[in-house]
Amino acid sequence: MLRRLLFVVLVLASCRPSGRPAVGPPRRIVSLLPSFTEILFAIGAGDRVVGRTKWCDYPPAALAVPSVGEGLPPNVEAVAARHPDLVVLYNAGPNVTAAEQLERIGIRTVLIDLNRLEDLGPATRTLGRLTGFAARAESLAAFLDSLSHQPPPSSTTSTTLAFVVWDNPPIIIGHGSYLDELATAAGARNVFSDIPAPSAQVSLETIAARNPQWIAVLSDSGMPSLPGFAKRREWRAVRAVRDGHFLMLPGSLFGRPGPRSGEAIRQLRALLAR
Amino acid sequence: MRWTLLVVVAVLALVASVALGPAAVPLPELLHSDIVWNLRAPRALLAFLVGGSLGVAGAGLQALVRNPLADPFLLGLSGGAGLGAVLAIALHLSGPWALPIAAFVGALAALGLVYRLGLIGGTGRGGALDPRILLLGGVAIGAFAAAITTAIVALADAAELRNAFLWLWGGLSGASWDSVLLVVLYVPIPLAVLLAASRPLDLLALGEESAGYLGADVEAVKRRVYLAASLLTAVAVAVSGVIGFVGLVVPHLVRITWGHRHRALLPAAFLGGGALLAFADTLARTVVAPRELPVGVVTALIGVPVFALLLRRWTIA
Repeated sequence: MLRRLLFVVLVLASCRPSGRPAVGPPRRIVSLLPSFTEILFAIGAGDRVVGRTKWCDYPPAALAVPSVGEGLPPNVEAVAARHPDLVVLYNAGPNVTAAEQLERIGIRTVLIDLNRLEDLGPATRTLGRLTGFAARAESLAAFLDSLSHQPPPSSTTSTTLAFVVWDNPPIIIGHGSYLDELATAAGARNVFSDIPAPSAQVSLETIAARNPQWIAVLSDSGMPSLPGFAKRREWRAVRAVRDGHFLMLPGSLFGRPGPRSGEAIRQLRALLAR
Repeated sequence: MRWTLLVVVAVLALVASVALGPAAVPLPELLHSDIVWNLRAPRALLAFLVGGSLGVAGAGLQALVRNPLADPFLLGLSGGAGLGAVLAIALHLSGPWALPIAAFVGALAALGLVYRLGLIGGTGRGGALDPRILLLGGVAIGAFAAAITTAIVALADAAELRNAFLWLWGGLSGASWDSVLLVVLYVPIPLAVLLAASRPLDLLALGEESAGYLGADVEAVKRRVYLAASLLTAVAVAVSGVIGFVGLVVPHLVRITWGHRHRALLPAAFLGGGALLAFADTLARTVVAPRELPVGVVTALIGVPVFALLLRRWTIA
């Protein structure tokens, strides 16, 4: 009996969680937001990423990293199975609970805000500090900071657009969103920038009355075909729809703030100049 | 007098929903405006037709199952329609009408299952439609369809799937002259079937046995009423998603004024339901402009207090 107890104690002792090393930067990182994955690779910490979400598709090297499924909310067991010593999560409701659960089993976590262009610099610096790539992170962060501080080119501010996220009921992007900032930085005006919320349901009639020159739609990877509502009769009351003025923006590049935000702004500007 | 009043209210609701909207259209230009002609007018008419159909369907179903709680969507149709819509998105069915058609097919499938469950003793002449089983079967099939829907949304990759729920609770944004024409061609037949069943529905209120003694072909009437009311609801969900409370509240409101005679009750429920939904949709479009409220929120916000007042009057009297 005593011997068996001793055995159990010994086994337990050998299983002491090794997840939290006292010193040194993390060697096994799980990134639970495509933007974080891009930043980690951009600052040179890509080879330490051992887990990603199924949405993390950039850079191509990230695809070689095993996926742990959806990032929001994460599958805590799948994350833990990668034996990470740091898990990077987007700071939002269900992720807070997941972070607490991971901490409870001895895995270090960090929750980072990343909703708008101006969050990019701070997020990059945080990731740089945590991974020990502070210098490279700082130069990237400085560039990303400049994106949100740049005054937009004034010559093209007359170009107007509306981001249509869903057609029935019509959901559009308002002022409190990254896409609205992207449009401003590219020299266009979001016709719904008077709505403070990130997104809102509006009447089709309002879209028709505000008469944007372009309808911007985020598309899933690959297929740049026109959205289904382009053919619906009621949408033809919107002039841009009638004229086929759609901007089909690949979600992987335009749908997330990240190191490629400057590239997204440049491409959007080029599309608007057509 | 009360008919005049109801017709005036209905016309006012229609006029208001054409004249008012988030886009400022000056009165003199009302008839020439593209926005009014191509967006507001079809939307107002569609709201009226859908509201009217839901009102009549609700009145018919409440008489059929002899339960004041019956709502057109209680019998599993919303669950079936939701499943159809989500499947259409998950299978990448494209085309402007893919979602409405899939929702309609889903609603019909739920309708068929619930109907089969409700038939006791076989599908032949000997089978009897049990209203209690219809209600229970409707709730069960609806819950089952909703569970499958949620599973598909949770497991599938397409990000648009999350928006399928928005569509299901959508309202009248999809209104066009096409959808108005479709509904105008479709609804007269089930409406006529229900109206033709007015007299037997009156008798049914006395209980199935008494109705049978008084000369009603009870089983045939029950089947016809169930199918007609469900077909009305199915087209409503296909063009406008699930809009609650109209089919529940309007029949009760109308019954208080017009009594229990279905020959008057059903047309009044059509006008009342149409007026309520047209009015509610006008509020949904204008109150928080440039944003828009889901119309189901407005029908509940108007319908429930009125309903509660009437319940008080009922129970006190």
